[in-house]
Amino acid sequence: MPAAEALLSGVPALEAALGEVAARLGAVTVQVHAGGRSAGAGVVWLRSGLVVTNAHVAAGPAVEVVLPDGRAVRAMVTARDPRRDLAALSVAASELPAALRADARGLRPGELVIAVGHPLGVAYAAALGVVHRAPTGAAGPAGWLHADIRLAPGNSGGPLADSAGRVVGINAMIVGGLGIAVPTHVIERFLHEAEGGGRGGARAA
Amino acid sequence: MPASSTDGFLAALSNDLAAAADTVGRSVVAIHARRRIPASGVVWQPGVVVAAHHTIQRDGDITLTLHDGATASATLAGRDPSTDLAVLRLADGTGGPPPAAQAAEAPRVGQVVLALGRPGPAVTASLGIVSAVGGEWRTWQGGTIDRFVRLDLAVYDGFSGGALVDAAGRVVGVNSSGLARAAALTVPASTVSRVVGQLLAHGHVARGWLGVATQPVRLPPALQRSLGAGQEGGLVVVNVEPDSPADRGGVLIGDILVALDDHAVSDPGDVLAALGGERIGQPIVLKVARGGRAQQLTVTVGARPRARG
Repeated sequence: MPAAEALLSGVPALEAALGEVAARLGAVTVQVHAGGRSAGAGVVWLRSGLVVTNAHVAAGPAVEVVLPDGRAVRAMVTARDPRRDLAALSVAASELPAALRADARGLRPGELVIAVGHPLGVAYAAALGVVHRAPTGAAGPAGWLHADIRLAPGNSGGPLADSAGRVVGINAMIVGGLGIAVPTHVIERFLHEAEGGGRGGARAA
Repeated sequence: MPASSTDGFLAALSNDLAAAADTVGRSVVAIHARRRIPASGVVWQPGVVVAAHHTIQRDGDITLTLHDGATASATLAGRDPSTDLAVLRLADGTGGPPPAAQAAEAPRVGQVVLALGRPGPAVTASLGIVSAVGGEWRTWQGGTIDRFVRLDLAVYDGFSGGALVDAAGRVVGVNSSGLARAAALTVPASTVSRVVGQLLAHGHVARGWLGVATQPVRLPPALQRSLGAGQEGGLVVVNVEPDSPADRGGVLIGDILVALDDHAVSDPGDVLAALGGERIGQPIVLKVARGGRAQQLTVTVGARPRARG
């Protein structure tokens, strides 16, 4: 009922909007289990079953992925880059809803960001924060997206999104209380290189 | 994916915050006056930058990084350790970045605020709310802050001296981690303006001075009875600076200070509160207990010597 929703303002509108963005992000966020350790998160990048997560989350050649609908499926780790802390997973499922994405290099300090992940084992928990510093272009984590947001282990590999719910990075580490995310353009470059270096693996379905 | 009717709301809020950060961020500078990472400062008047005193670890060779990446040199106009504020002047007299607009109203509990800092080339932000607002208070070093403003937000390395900004892009205060442990506090804009005025005019904030060091003590029951008025505690004098106002007025080590100008004192803060800059040169009556008997001494308040170094 658009007419009723249009009447929302102030805090109710904020809550409704945050709820919507969190739900939309949750629909493209998976749980990644690698052995006995607690779960990390991952983001569905392509409908064909390509999931992106952190290299430190996807330890080993294969992991178990729990999809948002609760299905547990096996996933092959098709590419891994510890330096950029990225891994590509190929999930044996298709027609998955994939994340909308935006370039983190256009972000401004103070813009709202929303994270979804499984902090300390709490599945699909959302957090709200702001851009602390946009990616600077410097190599490595120092140049990545810094967010003033409260994250915990279990957010690793999960999405960090802008106010429109578009993924601008995946959360990789916490440094000095700041959430540090690998920005989308670094992820795209990693996927591009992975595809060029190992076509068969990256496209397995 | 269908567009949502609430998308616009979140985007508008996000835009407001980013615009506030951008507007005030132009007035937030990086200050290079210590080892490790730079600290932050806010352009308060044309050519005048406010900083956190504890981040200015040298009196000369101070440089600033401005919002456009330019480097400027600055001189120290003065510092007030009691409010943890310092004032710098841009050296070349050029205007520099524009001063930030200041909020006229007092902060309210629950208000959405951004803390801005520039601990490097880029302005950086954190989001939170005003968590508590109280009345005038006195720092442990005797400075008067117009309003107690506690923040629920993260103050990162290099954020001291940075701006607290409201959603309309106006400065609410200057943030400091040097005034209280474990909590982020902001020095309200009104206090900053007062201290900036005093530092630009005199290079320091004048405070009254007696020259005694004291420690709280519980008064013996007999002394409590003889003093009356139900006063249970006083301040034992543990040091008297040679040739200080207290020394000249006859205060001795071991005296128990119980009142100043008929106001009971039982905490060192009570003494600081009675010694504002306006008292310098004026007489003040000390009621002390000496040898179990109360007596009165009149001391002419001096000016506190300026901190060295």
